[in-house]
Amino acid sequence: MFDFRFYEIWREPEYIDRLLHGCLVSIELSTAGGILGMILGLVLVSAQGKSSPKLLSGFAQGYIETVRNTPFIVQLFFVAFGLPQLLHYRWSFEASALLAMTLNFSAYFAEVVRAGISSIPTGQIEAAGSLCLTKRQIFLDIVLPQALCNVYPSLTSQFVFLFLTTGLISEIGVEDLTWAGRFVADRNFRDFEVFIVLTVLYVAIVFGYKAIFNALNRYAFPWRSIR
Amino acid sequence: MFWFCRTAVKGPYRVQKGNDMSETVAAGPAVSIRSMSKWYGDFQVLKNINLTVKFGERVVICGPSGSGKSTLIRCLNRLEVHQDGDIVVNGVELTMDMKKVEAVRREVGMVFQSFNLFPHLTVLQNCVLAQRRALKRSKQEATEVAMRFLTQVRIPEQRDKFPGQLSGGQQQRVAIARALCLEPKIMLFDEPTSALDPEMVNEVLDTMVGMAKTGMTMLCVTHEMGFARQVADRVIFMDAGQIVEQNDPESFFTNPQHERTKAFLGQIL
Amino acid sequence: MSALLEPVFGPFYSNVIGTLVNATQWTIYLSLTAFIGGGLIGLLFTILKISPIGWLRKVATGYIWLFQAIPLLMLLFLIGLGIPSFFHISVAPWVAASVSLTLFTSAYMSEVWRGALESVAKGQWEGGRALGLTFGEILWFIVSPQALRIATPPTVGFMVQVIKGTSMAYIIDYNDLMRWGKKIANSQLDGAEPYIIYPMVALIYFCLCFPLSKWSKSLEKKMATRSR
Repeated sequence: MFDFRFYEIWREPEYIDRLLHGCLVSIELSTAGGILGMILGLVLVSAQGKSSPKLLSGFAQGYIETVRNTPFIVQLFFVAFGLPQLLHYRWSFEASALLAMTLNFSAYFAEVVRAGISSIPTGQIEAAGSLCLTKRQIFLDIVLPQALCNVYPSLTSQFVFLFLTTGLISEIGVEDLTWAGRFVADRNFRDFEVFIVLTVLYVAIVFGYKAIFNALNRYAFPWRSIR
Repeated sequence: MFWFCRTAVKGPYRVQKGNDMSETVAAGPAVSIRSMSKWYGDFQVLKNINLTVKFGERVVICGPSGSGKSTLIRCLNRLEVHQDGDIVVNGVELTMDMKKVEAVRREVGMVFQSFNLFPHLTVLQNCVLAQRRALKRSKQEATEVAMRFLTQVRIPEQRDKFPGQLSGGQQQRVAIARALCLEPKIMLFDEPTSALDPEMVNEVLDTMVGMAKTGMTMLCVTHEMGFARQVADRVIFMDAGQIVEQNDPESFFTNPQHERTKAFLGQIL
Repeated sequence: MSALLEPVFGPFYSNVIGTLVNATQWTIYLSLTAFIGGGLIGLLFTILKISPIGWLRKVATGYIWLFQAIPLLMLLFLIGLGIPSFFHISVAPWVAASVSLTLFTSAYMSEVWRGALESVAKGQWEGGRALGLTFGEILWFIVSPQALRIATPPTVGFMVQVIKGTSMAYIIDYNDLMRWGKKIANSQLDGAEPYIIYPMVALIYFCLCFPLSKWSKSLEKKMATRSR
């Protein structure tokens, strides 16, 4: 009854090529999206600072809530099909995917970091203030590094969660891992085996990410391990 | 590590040494508080405080918890904002003007009950950071100054450890060194030994006694009466937001005037 | 409904809005199915995970790990496309979608609840055992009420993830809000451009999710102030 035919996947060198290429595209885009999202997220965090104008912080808050309360796929389709029409300018599907992932991750990043910032004890800020540091210096030198350290675990799991949804970018024609899988399944009709392989590949990539995050953790927050 | 390697962020406020009134006013009092009051909402924590502290004077403030003694010294570098009366520190009146607040904070060091060392920086970095940012010292100069004060508090060998690796007493000594690195004229201590295990209290007190010998102006909220007898020029007793009594330590301990002082001393001695 | 909207939005848009709102019910049904089904299965595995029997704990650990690791999209593909083609059976989209989302939800829910149960102090278990209570009694009378308080905000918050997750079900032809939005946006009709339709779809999802997010946050705040 269980007639697994995984060899239908490795039989064709083209299938393997497509899958490997798909892995690379998925990894590249999510990594780039994660990094750009982090940068945009930091901008959003500082836009919500106590001293920033009401309008700006309101806009940042609205943006974060909008992104967090709508599905990624809707955001993706809007960026890929709506925006180019609206702006009368076309860009590649990869660019759309990257933009959507950046916008999406930035909101989650900002939300998590903001929570981390509010958890920093006031004693830290008072001590820094009594040492004559300016507000900006207190934020950059004292609050932000500690906040990032505290929320690092939830940031990385948030990133992994988002990575697991990136298969959706195949829907707009980006040749990522999911796209490659569907390409193969459409030709050898072994959907079940193909998606099992795909799942294993996704899980393997997640393991890779987690290993990198652990190494980064030790490098970026050397004070954590000894507390 | 890289948090610290980032090049200095230029702060928007930089008080010019030329405008610094400290040199000219040095003859005046270090701290002068006139009819100062403070409220938390409806609750008045400080009631009409009047206090003058001369340069070189060492003042110990004691009193039951909730008497407003911590709030009082936290007002002196504007960690708390007073609502009425005025506070002049080192010749600069504390107002909403952030430049004046910064000018005061530059000359006033503070040591906290819970140390408040920066856990993400090493001992040395804790001491160097403010010098680099607020005084714009070079890395080399800042390190030299930091090592001088770390040696003074007798923990130069811990320079590369993180605060989390040190005992409470060591952390508090680092906190003292960190405050001294800005070479303040006035030092504030907010119950510096209350959070320490008993066996570590003395190492911190010894450091403070050593500092007193250098002629530093000190305002110290503490219940360590031995310390008060040994170094204080004046002991102030506060209760319910008011200064109830102040006197030199000898008279204060042997001949308290006020009933509330007697009751308090009876409890802690 | 369309008749009510017509004076305000005109015949075309009231038709579009009517269609989208009508499709939303399938999103809600799927969310509720996943949430209730996932909650029940999640509860079962939570109990297994903390049970005194070793091999049951291992089964639960494996289950939770597996379904947290598998991307939801892959679950949908495996159950919606893989199983039918492998076993030569037909699986209705709504069945595949419900099963996938239920599995997905159950794994995350038991993770959240296990965390809540574990954050109840160990002393509570020991105290219960000292009183001679059984595992079940301690769990039911002592630990659960405390854990419930801790677990409620993240549980409500996860409902938002479930609703957003249902939007992926259109991939296996489940006729929900997302699918109808896509159909209309692809229709090439004047006024049904993607930049108009997708924000409308987003707005409907937002209306479903935002109140839950707010609720979760206010619960969290309430808990933080109470435990102080």
